[in-house]
Amino acid sequence: MTQLDVRFETVRTINRGVDVAPSFRRGLGITFMLALVGSGARLVIPIIVQQSIDKGLRPGNIDIGFITKLGIIGAVSVFISAYALRMSAMRLGVRAEEGLYTLRVKLFDHIHRLSLADHNEERRGALVSRVTSDIETLTNFFSWGGLAWLLDGSQILAVSIVMVAYDWRLALVAFVVAAPLVFVLKAVQHRLVEAYNLTRVRNATLLGMIGELFAGSDTLRVYDASPHMVKRVRATVRSRADSNIRAGFIGAFLFPSGEVFSVFTVVAVVTCGVIIGPTGGLTAGALVGFVFLTFRFLEPIAEFTEVVDQTQTAVAGLRRVLSVLDTPIGPPAAEFPLPLPTGTLSVDVKNVSFSYGSRLDSQDDDLPVLSEVNFSIPAGQHVALVGESGSGKTTLARLIARLADPTVGVIYLGGVMVNRVANDDLRTRLTVVPQEPFLFSETIRYNLQFAVPLATDTELVAAIAELQLADWFEALPNGLDTHVGKRGGSLSAGERQLVALIRAFLVRPDILILDEATSAVDALTEIRITRAFDRVSAGRTTISIAHRLSTAARADRILVLEHGRLVEDGTHDSLIARDGPYAQMYDAWLASTSAESEVRGV
Amino acid sequence: MSNITTPQATTGSGPNFGLPESESRLKSAYRLLSALVRVHPRLFITAVSGATLFGLCTVASALGVRWMVDEVILPRFNEGRTDTRALLIGAILVIGIGVLRAVGVVLRRGFAGAASWRTAETVSLDVLHRIVAQPSTWHRQHMTGDLVARVGVDSDAAVAVMGPMPFASAVVVMLVVSGAWLLVVDVPLGLLAIVVFPLLLILNVGYQRRIDTHYKTAQDELGLLSEAVHESFDGVMVVKAFGAEMRETERLSHITGRLKDARTRAVILRSTFEALLDAIPSFINIVLLVVGAHRVQSGAMTVGELTSFVYLFTLLIFPLRIIGYVFSEVPHSLSGWNRTRQIVDEPIVADPRASIRLAPSNAAVVVSDISVAYSGQTILKNLSLTIDSSNTVAIVGATGSGKTTLLHAIAGLIPVDSGSIAVMPGGVGMVFQEAFVFADTLRFNVTLGDDISDDIVLAALEVAAAMEFVSKFETGLDTELGERGASLSGGQRQRVALARAIAHRCPVLLLDDTTSALDPTTESIVIENLRRQQTVGATLIVASRPSTISLADEVLYLANGVIVDHAPHAVLMAQNVEYRKLLEAFEHDRREN
Repeated sequence: MTQLDVRFETVRTINRGVDVAPSFRRGLGITFMLALVGSGARLVIPIIVQQSIDKGLRPGNIDIGFITKLGIIGAVSVFISAYALRMSAMRLGVRAEEGLYTLRVKLFDHIHRLSLADHNEERRGALVSRVTSDIETLTNFFSWGGLAWLLDGSQILAVSIVMVAYDWRLALVAFVVAAPLVFVLKAVQHRLVEAYNLTRVRNATLLGMIGELFAGSDTLRVYDASPHMVKRVRATVRSRADSNIRAGFIGAFLFPSGEVFSVFTVVAVVTCGVIIGPTGGLTAGALVGFVFLTFRFLEPIAEFTEVVDQTQTAVAGLRRVLSVLDTPIGPPAAEFPLPLPTGTLSVDVKNVSFSYGSRLDSQDDDLPVLSEVNFSIPAGQHVALVGESGSGKTTLARLIARLADPTVGVIYLGGVMVNRVANDDLRTRLTVVPQEPFLFSETIRYNLQFAVPLATDTELVAAIAELQLADWFEALPNGLDTHVGKRGGSLSAGERQLVALIRAFLVRPDILILDEATSAVDALTEIRITRAFDRVSAGRTTISIAHRLSTAARADRILVLEHGRLVEDGTHDSLIARDGPYAQMYDAWLASTSAESEVRGV
Repeated sequence: MSNITTPQATTGSGPNFGLPESESRLKSAYRLLSALVRVHPRLFITAVSGATLFGLCTVASALGVRWMVDEVILPRFNEGRTDTRALLIGAILVIGIGVLRAVGVVLRRGFAGAASWRTAETVSLDVLHRIVAQPSTWHRQHMTGDLVARVGVDSDAAVAVMGPMPFASAVVVMLVVSGAWLLVVDVPLGLLAIVVFPLLLILNVGYQRRIDTHYKTAQDELGLLSEAVHESFDGVMVVKAFGAEMRETERLSHITGRLKDARTRAVILRSTFEALLDAIPSFINIVLLVVGAHRVQSGAMTVGELTSFVYLFTLLIFPLRIIGYVFSEVPHSLSGWNRTRQIVDEPIVADPRASIRLAPSNAAVVVSDISVAYSGQTILKNLSLTIDSSNTVAIVGATGSGKTTLLHAIAGLIPVDSGSIAVMPGGVGMVFQEAFVFADTLRFNVTLGDDISDDIVLAALEVAAAMEFVSKFETGLDTELGERGASLSGGQRQRVALARAIAHRCPVLLLDDTTSALDPTTESIVIENLRRQQTVGATLIVASRPSTISLADEVLYLANGVIVDHAPHAVLMAQNVEYRKLLEAFEHDRREN
């Protein structure tokens, strides 16, 4: 990209950001006008110094009355401009906060609607940083850089105007002498940015190394290798400090360069002023005022170089944020939703194929997870999906629940295409119990009400009793108020499954999809889970993803998947009789669970 | 093998006391600062000298302005007299002072940075050395993330207060000198100006305190938000399954709203303060000018002196802010400092490796009657065993039977509650379940910095059956393996870790389920290779494949922390029903996965 393209792209990014969160732009013109008035406070002193020298403090003719009047006018203008300055900074800051709020909320909404393919483990961290650290770069920008653009920009503009108004010749001298500063700053700023980038790289390296040193501490201890590692970390600690000190010195040179230029400019201005003299239409006051103005003029410029850098960081953050908002949500909402028929629903899977592949990545991993799967489940039937891990069971269940849409093929629930069903309708009629039930770090009540927000305590307790879990529930320390700990960590894996089952039961869905957990649970909990599951699934179309073949054996019908294809479909007995893949799996499972491996459950 | 070297820094150069929380802020700030300054006093003093130069030049620059007004500008305009010599002196004065002032700034900023970064270096190395000196027992009780924070951000935070300190001291110099100067030139005007300094200082400090509470609230809300966002995105399956997208967005928006409110309050306060800070000096300057006009009229001072007063005042406003800033940094630095001290002041825990004895000749490992319990739960119970030299032993048992704990105890990574462990001289090499690969070259990952020749490294890789993929590396042993060995597969990482153990020629090798990530053929090759090259010592392998186990000379069958049986695989298969069932279950699990 050429530099022009980069600039164009930057402007486009900013425009899009403003479109997404219009608060950024609202009243910006007025804010700038206020800032311009606000810079007046910094001009008042040079102007009254000029006025009093020229008109009030003439040698042998001190006009106290005039100076007092001047003082009053000055005080009033200082008050007004200070008020304008406050309003301007406040408007910018408050609007920025509103804009960032809007941006965050839009991100939450969008991210929650992204397809599960965009939500996998690797991308989750990135999504979290979009709403946290990337937006924070924008916050930092607005609280400093953005304010500097506004206030410093208006100060430079206002001072320049007054300078030209006093004497265009001196103004020209000041501009010409100060001009090289821009080049100096540009050259130094370039090096400063590089130096700071280096410090960031070294910092990351160091943190990585320390992390390694501690995470790998067992390994290092076994081989007594800690001293070697410590030596390396020491070197990195040193080089990180070195790079920071270097960046600090570059900054230290950059910072006073504006002041150095201003003393040269002042000398040039005074010299020229003396040459021009009163005959050239200049007054002593204007020249002294000019000295003050020159300092004011160059004051903000050094800061600007850092502001430019910060602006670039902020635009990069904004770009990442916008790219998330540009990722299409999936699956898309039905445009003209059709109602689901009442009562228990059938499930028809017609010619379904599916491959993951995220739109957040440039390269797609297009291995098919499911290929041409066809089957029908009559309303009320309990079907078990069986297959080795990676055979596509979980994906198939997700497609039926419309957590993703098939790449090819159609799924019907109760005869209605699932992508034509309104999401709210679908979520009250179909419920999924995932393999690793996710609980929020809240109370049991919160986690149950997550399914049905309006459920009362009585209803919750009744549901628990209906699932014959009253004994378990009564043993909880605080009943519904029992806190489940971080991610449900205070409960056992089995108890988390119980909560997930109750949660699903509360929805009273017509279709239940259960991804059986693989984690081992104690015998009592196992019995409770089985009992509760039987209650939950009774009278409902149930699809269970069976990891234990004992669960499969209890289903009305078994579907066997292999590498994304449906290879067997039938009752347990018929599949055993066929002696196909299912029978082999069952054999192996029996062998592992009973000593008498020759017995086959025929 | 020798013990880990004791850190030098903790005993010598480092500041070595913690700061009690009960002290007053000023007092603890003083103690913190004096502790920090003492680490690299020269750098800090240079920074303070630079700052002093800056402060003096700032006051002196007003003299330049006075000269220009009184000796150059006014004579020219009021008397029509052009004094070239005065102009030259003025130019030298203004430029000279300006350049000196800039030099002061460079020294101040540059060396303040140098002093704080060098101090941060010392503080973080103190912490690092202490952590490394602690044995694995201690490490098990600490989170890696927390330890990294102590060495990293906490150490940085501890020194943060040093950065603005030289500037703050320059401000004090500036205030004193300019106050004195103002008084010398004109007593009433000087008094007027001097009264203002403390007022501005109080305004600054008060503002900083108030804004800090807003920033703190905002920071807390941001922490809550980030936590909630993590949770919500992690639970996206459940959110979608119950159609709760809108509700979750609302919940997060609520927290975001609180963050916005806290920030908005800060913005309003800050805008008001900035405006005040701009206005107050201007007001005072106006008063100075009006009162000064009387003084000029009465002949007490010149126009140039009055102008330089006004000029000086505009210069002093910004630096006053730094004092408020230093005050706000103190609590932050203090908590960082205390967190680093917690680690440094912690006594070194006894290293379980120190209690490992030397085994009698002919025995590789002798375990006598050891028991290990974690939080009340017995893991190993009165376990004894002797493993003869040049034996390969498979350790077999269900999950939770104590296999890994036994290996860790033999390696001296965990203490035993009773009993004793002895291994043959030369020590123990261990390969863990999760092979740890460092973000470095293949060579370093095998040698871990020890002086081991490339020939030995290559031979070790050969034995570990790693050459099949290593030979494809274009850069050979110099190949960078990436963070945590990201460029390798799980099985490849394990083989690199195995080569590490082999290259270190430890007579006793402990492999904790190391080879299970390999395919059965490669696993068998590795075990065979190990048997062949292990002429002295012994290899203990936690294994689950019958094909692997059958290669071992004998099998230790563990259940619930005790050795149930100790015999060759074939014997156990024939005689022990439980053992056979367990192996069949292993086989099934593998097929499932």
